Amino acid sequence: MKAFYVLCAVLLVFGSVSEAKFDDFEDEEDLVEYDDNDFAEFEDVMEDSVTESPQRVITTEDDEDETTVELEGQDENQEGDFEDADTQGDTESEPYDDEEFEGYEDKPDTSSSKNKDPITIVDVPAHLQNSWESYYLEILMVTGLLAYIMNYIIGKNKNSRLAQAWFNSHRELLESNFTLVGDDGTNKEATSTGKLNQENEHIYNLWCSGRVCCEGMLIQLRFLKRQDLLNVLARMMRPVSDQVQIKVTMNDEDMDTYVFAVGTRKALVRLQKEMQDLSEFCSDKPKSGAKYGLPDSLAILSEMGEVTEGMMDTKMVHFLTHYADKIESVHFSDQFSGPKIMQEEGQPLKLPDTKRTLLFTFNVPGSGNTYPKDMEALLPLMNMVIYSIDKAKKFRLNREGKQKADKNRARVEENFLKLTHVQRQEAAQSRREEKKRAEKERIMNEEDPEKQRRLEEAALRREQKKLEKKQMKMKQIKVKAM
Amino acid sequence: MSSNNMSDPRRPNKVLRYKPPPSECNPALDDPTPDYMNLLGMIFSMCGLMLKLKWCAWVAVYCSFISFANSRSSEDTKQMMSSFITLSP
Repeated sequence: MKAFYVLCAVLLVFGSVSEAKFDDFEDEEDLVEYDDNDFAEFEDVMEDSVTESPQRVITTEDDEDETTVELEGQDENQEGDFEDADTQGDTESEPYDDEEFEGYEDKPDTSSSKNKDPITIVDVPAHLQNSWESYYLEILMVTGLLAYIMNYIIGKNKNSRLAQAWFNSHRELLESNFTLVGDDGTNKEATSTGKLNQENEHIYNLWCSGRVCCEGMLIQLRFLKRQDLLNVLARMMRPVSDQVQIKVTMNDEDMDTYVFAVGTRKALVRLQKEMQDLSEFCSDKPKSGAKYGLPDSLAILSEMGEVTEGMMDTKMVHFLTHYADKIESVHFSDQFSGPKIMQEEGQPLKLPDTKRTLLFTFNVPGSGNTYPKDMEALLPLMNMVIYSIDKAKKFRLNREGKQKADKNRARVEENFLKLTHVQRQEAAQSRREEKKRAEKERIMNEEDPEKQRRLEEAALRREQKKLEKKQMKMKQIKVKAM
Repeated sequence: MSSNNMSDPRRPNKVLRYKPPPSECNPALDDPTPDYMNLLGMIFSMCGLMLKLKWCAWVAVYCSFISFANSRSSEDTKQMMSSFITLSP
């Protein structure tokens, strides 16, 4: 580019000297190599690259007009360069002509600048500035993240302290009642770990075992999600409590067959909908416990009146009345199988496994704003749990009650079987077909022809026998009908 | 009240080991927040990368933080760290 520019400047100088030569070039379209000029070859290039472009008004001499016309199609830069070259050439070759610029001096510069070309101050784009303002989004976001992380650490620590406080206050009672306090299932030997299992930043488990009457007790401390800022903000709208859930698995021989629940009305309604056993055995709505001296906030769900009578002895009533604000629900059941399972393919083929269980859900006082010392308030509730375990062992239904309970269970099972009858039939049919297919395959695979024949005969005989049996049955039914 | 003064209710011979509850259906039944947040984070980070939207990328970072805070401890820390790093672009 620079070489080209220098070249053009040199050429202009030559052009002013040798006018005629340029005239020749102007006339002819096909250019002949002009030997006079060392740079003739370059002239071709120059002229070929010329494109038709609008005329530029330049007040210069003719010969330079020609040169500028020839070179009009080139880049603006080059034109600018040319202009410079031109003016330079001008000043070099000719004196400055005052007459050319007569009209210009009178015009005031400022007005022209105002009317024609107002100077606009363009804003430097933000990313080219080096100030804080250009990063305001980033700063905002990072501040938010830092706030989240701070809340995470604070929340995690608080939950951990609450759990430890709970354990410290309950440790003695638990150790006096259970051989194994704290087990995560990973050790080879069954030794007490003596500490809580941290499942989550907000859930702590404790397994206790080795006591008369029960197989074991699983305590789950379900704290609020203090480590999640979103949750913290949501809780500001709707206060929720930390919960302590206790699940005692009873030995089969240590608990009689009944289903019973007591708790806040809202909790019982929810449990009745969710829990398999409560929905099947306790079909009535939760009844008020005022008859037994319970406060109005608590209601009772029971399989039969006798169970309620048996359960609501003085001590239990005392517990329930005194700590009613902390009790969410108490659920005793011999048919406990967890919440109802929603299956897409319809009913499950067999009844879910049941276990004799006592479930307790307690609310930690403070409704979210708990302190470690509040955990001590839950100690009497643990006493209630222990008392309930012993009571469940002692409480037995009388004969009538037992009969009723057995009838209920049979009824539930029958209903279940009816519902799944079709499915079970299909399942049995498919199983039979599978067996036949497997046998046929075995016969086919048998290489020895003799064995094959024998197996085939055996299969035929079996089928014949089945047919005969069916026929007998049909005959019997017909006879009975008659 | 809690234990008979005469006899200790503890029975060392009847100790049962802790069996963690079957985790086939439980993770799905329990709080699905970490899984949703993980998915959202992935989606937003892809959007932010493809469509060059800065706010998308920031939302993705927030989603990954929330997913981490709500996660169940059964998942490896390594897995979470790796998922967090994939979200960082």
